[in-house]
Formats: sequence, C-alpha cells, structure tokens
Amino acid sequence: MISLQLVIEVIGDGFFAAIAAIGFAIISNPPRKALFISAFLAAVGHGLRYFLMHAPYIEWNIISSSFFAALSIGLLALPFAKAIRCPAEVFSFPSLLPMIPGMFAYKAVQALAKFIVCTGYEESMIYIETFFRNGITALFVLFALVVGVSISIFLFPKLAFSSTR
Amino acid sequence: MTDVHNQLKEVSKFLSDYSTCLMAVGVQTSRIVRNTSRIARTYGLTVEMTVLLKTIVMTVWDSEHTHSYSAVGQVKPKGLNFEMNARLSQLSWECQDKQLSLDELQLKYETIVSKPRVSKWIVLILVSFANAAFCYLFQGDSISMIIVFFATLDGFCIRQTLMERGWNHFAIYIISAFVASIIGSTGYVFGWGKTPDMALGTSVLYLVPGVPLINGVMDIIDGHVLAGTSRLINAALLIICIAMGLSATLFVIGIETL
Repeated sequence: MISLQLVIEVIGDGFFAAIAAIGFAIISNPPRKALFISAFLAAVGHGLRYFLMHAPYIEWNIISSSFFAALSIGLLALPFAKAIRCPAEVFSFPSLLPMIPGMFAYKAVQALAKFIVCTGYEESMIYIETFFRNGITALFVLFALVVGVSISIFLFPKLAFSSTR
Repeated sequence: MTDVHNQLKEVSKFLSDYSTCLMAVGVQTSRIVRNTSRIARTYGLTVEMTVLLKTIVMTVWDSEHTHSYSAVGQVKPKGLNFEMNARLSQLSWECQDKQLSLDELQLKYETIVSKPRVSKWIVLILVSFANAAFCYLFQGDSISMIIVFFATLDGFCIRQTLMERGWNHFAIYIISAFVASIIGSTGYVFGWGKTPDMALGTSVLYLVPGVPLINGVMDIIDGHVLAGTSRLINAALLIICIAMGLSATLFVIGIETL
C-alpha cells in the first residue's frame, strides 16, 4: 500500500524542509542548540504533511494536513523546551516557517492587482476566483498552523509556561 | 512614602525597558505580559499593561494598591532575535527563584542585550541554501534550485546592505523582491531547466515575514486582538511589497501569469 517511492519522497521532503528551516531560522538569531532542534522538528512536520497530502487513500487537503503537522511539532517541542530551558516557540516557530503559505499570499495580491487593470467580465471573474482561492487558503493554512502548534500549550499549560525555569 | 515611590519608579523604568525590548525582538504578547508580571511579583508589586505595536503602556502598583507609577515605553526597532527571547525569559524566572536585587537584574539584562548576533555572512549563505531547498519542496528541478540559490544570495545581500543604511522597510522589500525575481527569471529568459515558473515563484519567498504572521495569529488567539491585528497588517503590507517587486519583474520580462 505504502510504496517505497512514497517513503523516499517523504524523507527527501523532510530533509530539504530541515535545510529550509535552518536558513529561515537563522534570520531571527536563535540559540545554537535550538537551531538543530528546529531543523529536526521541521523535517518531522513537513514530512508528515507531505505524507498526509500524497499517501494513497489519505490525500488530505493542504489545510488539514498542515494542522496535523503543526500539532506534531507543538507536541514534540515541549519535551525539548524543558530539556534545554528555552521557550517552546524558539524552535517551534522556525520549524513552521517552511510551511508558511507565502506563495499563496503573494499570488492573491497579484490576482487582485490584475483584477483592477483587466476589462472583460470573464477575465475579471477568473482573477476574483484566483484571489479568493489563494487568499483564503493562505489565511486558513496560517490559522491551522498556529492553532495546531498552540494546542500543546492548552493541553500542558504548566509544562509550557515554566519551561524556561 | 518616598521609599515606596522610589522603588516603584526604579522598577517601572526597568520593566518598561525590558518589555519594549521583548516586543522589539518579536515575542508573543502573552509571554511579554507573563514575564513582566513575574519580575514585578518578585518585588511585591503588581503591573497592569497595554501592549501595542510601537508603545507599551504600564502602571506598576505597590502591594497595598495605594501608590502607583506609570510609564510609556517606545519600542525601538531591533530585528527578530530568538536568543534574546529565550535569555530574557530565563532571566524572569531566575529573578523570581533567586530573588535578585534590581541592580543585579539590570546588570544581567545589559549583558544579554549587548550580545552580538550571528555573523551576517553565515546568515546570507544559510538563507540562500534554505531558499534553494524551498524550491525543491515546490517540485523545482536542480537547475531551478541553483537559480534560486543565486537569486536569494543577491536579493538578501541587498536587503542586508540597505537595512544597515536605514532605508525604509517597504522600499527595501520592493527592491530586493525585484532583484531576486529578476535573477530568478533567468530560467525563463534563457530556457534553463524544466521548472522556470517554480524558480521565479520561490526566488522571493525568503522575504515572507513568517514570524510576525505566526505571532499575529497567536496574539489574536490569546485575546490580544489589537496587537495581533497590527502585526498581521504589518506583515500583509510587506507581502504586498513582495508582490509589487515580483510584478515589476513580470512586467519587465513580459510574462503574463506565474
């Protein structure tokens, strides 16, 4: 059922997501230890998302897959936070960065700009559709990511808030 | 009477510095409030605060609720810094657990704040590799990844240089999105690789303000709606700037849709 091809794809996806997470995390100057944890969490999260979106019989959409990927990142982040005495978001946020729907967001803006300059009715309907499809996907993925990652804080508030103690 | 007032004044000054610094380095609002109140509690005081994007308003009360001191702190732009987030959060617990005096606290705060950032050359290289890896995640082939690597290298270098010169943020975003996408479009112009659309599309993604977006949604969920919305609007403006830079490239190259 789960082919070797899919396993290789998931691993490759996780590996490159880890590189992406390290690079996007380093912009916000994280502690050295947190950098490697965020790479690991990004690999797990992004790999899981790829699996949920592409595995046969699952094939979820991007929003619910992102939610469960973020949920797994949030839950895994807590024990690490306790171990190196850092707030969990220091490495859970960077590991979400490869999943941020940036491309959907700017495509929505571009569709809006094209809608203003185009004239025909058919054409403008296409751009309005593109705007809503991309914009709402971006918004929903963003909320799914953040809600997913913060569920662990609601489940274990004591552990989450005292991790830097 | 004057003793109480002096203590309130000193603590307020420190807390104002501390909380505006946390805001500047990109900490979510609920954590700012928690950390600041924790330090105030150590000295037997309570603090009430309103957190906005550019200012933090707070009133510090003594334990009997008879004397108070108010402070309005300006948030000075600093750039995201997760290390400072972690260290300053640890400091608030250390203050409570070891009952640090205000002078000790101030001293530790200064050492944390003056710590240098990661070398900008390391950041430049790692961001370029990251964006190339990002191209792979969008099913780009290896030639597209190389194009994206060099596009990011140039775009991010320009962004760093202009940031040091203190240019307007929005202008920086438009210019670096334009430069990165011009280089990203070489796949189209010279027919390199099988996925030139992905090379062009991902070449600007290193600019997307991910952390402010996450922080904004986090704040809204936590009930700090005003702070969260202003973060989201700020991030949305930057994304519009990215789209403007990219659209300029599409116009120059003559591509209709991406």
